[in-house]
Amino acid sequence: MRRRIVRHEAGALLLFPLPAVIIILVAQAFPVFYSLTMSFRDWALASSLTPGRFVGLANYVKAFHDTVFLHAVAVSLQFCVAATLVEVVLGFILAYFTVGESRVLRVARTILILPMVIAPVANGTIWRMILNPQYGLLNAILSTFGARGPDWLGNPVLALVSVIMIDIWQWTPYAMVIFCAGLSLIPLELYDAAQVDGASRIRVLRSIVIPYLVPVIFIVLLFRIVDTFLVIDSIYTTTFGGPGFSTNVVTLYIYWQALRYFNISFGSALSWLISILTLATAFTLMRAQRRLQSSIWGVTS
Amino acid sequence: MMKDRSRLYVAARAIIVAMALIAVLVPFLYLFLNSVKIEREFRSIPLRIIPSVVTLQYYADIFGRGGQLGSYLLNSIIVTLVVVVVSVFTGALAAFGLAKLRRMYRFIALAVYLILLVRFYPKVVMLIPYFILMRDLHLLDTLAAVIIAHSSIGIPFVVWLMIGFYEEIPIELEESAMLDGCDVWRRFTRVIFPVVLPGIATAAIMTAVLSWNEFLIASSVVSINAKTLPVLVSGYISDKGINWGPMSATSVVIIVPMFVFVLFTQKYLIRGLTFGAVKG
Repeated sequence: MRRRIVRHEAGALLLFPLPAVIIILVAQAFPVFYSLTMSFRDWALASSLTPGRFVGLANYVKAFHDTVFLHAVAVSLQFCVAATLVEVVLGFILAYFTVGESRVLRVARTILILPMVIAPVANGTIWRMILNPQYGLLNAILSTFGARGPDWLGNPVLALVSVIMIDIWQWTPYAMVIFCAGLSLIPLELYDAAQVDGASRIRVLRSIVIPYLVPVIFIVLLFRIVDTFLVIDSIYTTTFGGPGFSTNVVTLYIYWQALRYFNISFGSALSWLISILTLATAFTLMRAQRRLQSSIWGVTS
Repeated sequence: MMKDRSRLYVAARAIIVAMALIAVLVPFLYLFLNSVKIEREFRSIPLRIIPSVVTLQYYADIFGRGGQLGSYLLNSIIVTLVVVVVSVFTGALAAFGLAKLRRMYRFIALAVYLILLVRFYPKVVMLIPYFILMRDLHLLDTLAAVIIAHSSIGIPFVVWLMIGFYEEIPIELEESAMLDGCDVWRRFTRVIFPVVLPGIATAAIMTAVLSWNEFLIASSVVSINAKTLPVLVSGYISDKGINWGPMSATSVVIIVPMFVFVLFTQKYLIRGLTFGAVKG
């Protein structure tokens, strides 16, 4: 009966998604497919106002020979791996120690999530001041210990470390929030049983907490890997890719190609390449999660 | 969590939480102090972290004739409010239809996946075509260009969230309304919508944070008139000298509303963040 009613009303129900679908078609689907078609043509806005001829895969071939692009991919990968790892580990530690309903812990959690809700560009400006070699806070603190602080954002290696640190500062709270929610859902009986068995805290962590959190860990990994690989805002406001190309992440490079040089076709090809890479990573993670979960819980599905 | 509270655990917790709080609060405090510090003290050595006198000059400057921050602030407020209303309204509406139809029609289930995909590709893909589209529609440098783009990112999130909320409503609730002769639209507005208000609140808050902070797309379609606060803040990057006073004051203006917002809506914000990650 239920099914028949829904079918009877299907016409009306189909109208419900219409406004939303129109907005997404206009502002996402159309641009995304337009960029796909542009990636097979030859169009630089500086030389022509209309799209040029069809060039096949030439832009994609060019991408693989563009050393700056390849370098940018490498920088993004380093950023992604380092930031994600630290955020997941730190986020777990913070969640482990702040989960609970006491007033103090609740206030602490509220404060700890603040970095996450501020604009990444504002985050960038804060850290640009902290990391300034002459007048910055960090080097001032170091100098009270008698150490001479380096030029954080001016040194190629330190600049990359610094922008990774900035991302960690802003997004560890995200991992913390998710892990807190995951931890608070572990049934208390499991802990009680472990206590009766005389299990140590470390043992409980290894045999109960972490296996229980596996799906949650994957969610955090999924979102942090995607977002760190595509980072741009905080780098735009701190190093702008420099010094040299040391913090030139892939999104920033595409931004340059597209909106500074107006190399529309080439920029489109680059952005499709990294879209495919990101989506492939996301799918792989989701599949791995399903497999790992079933092997841990012995669920066959 | 475990009831056993060994001394070691309590001590470790106190130290770790205290360190985390310091790491989070010090940068914010430094920013606030810099926004009221007089010019000369930025360059004093040893560094003067706490200003000797408090000046509100930078705030006066950025809001004054030269700064025009007021109009950019207004832009950001308008964009955020409209994006929240548009995303939440169209998203909640869409999710209702999709939640009911997705088990019946393959193409609806596929449409849901495609909508969710928006979260996972880099937004740089759409920048150029969207720029061209807005140019052709003569919408460059208008708030509409920013609003449409932000809504198209907000809607997928709202759809995802609301489908979850709708599917938790017992079908009996709707069936009884159906027996009273309510058509689908009236059931949605009178019966379903009031029940999912917590979900609506969560969706509204998440979209507001997204739109208020969004920089990349906004910066690509606005140039002068339609600048939002993140675009304005990013402009300070070109400064070679130390222009920290105005930069700090502008950053404070963009940050403080979110702080206040989080304090009052934390419960919903956390629900929005953890939704889907953990099944409550």
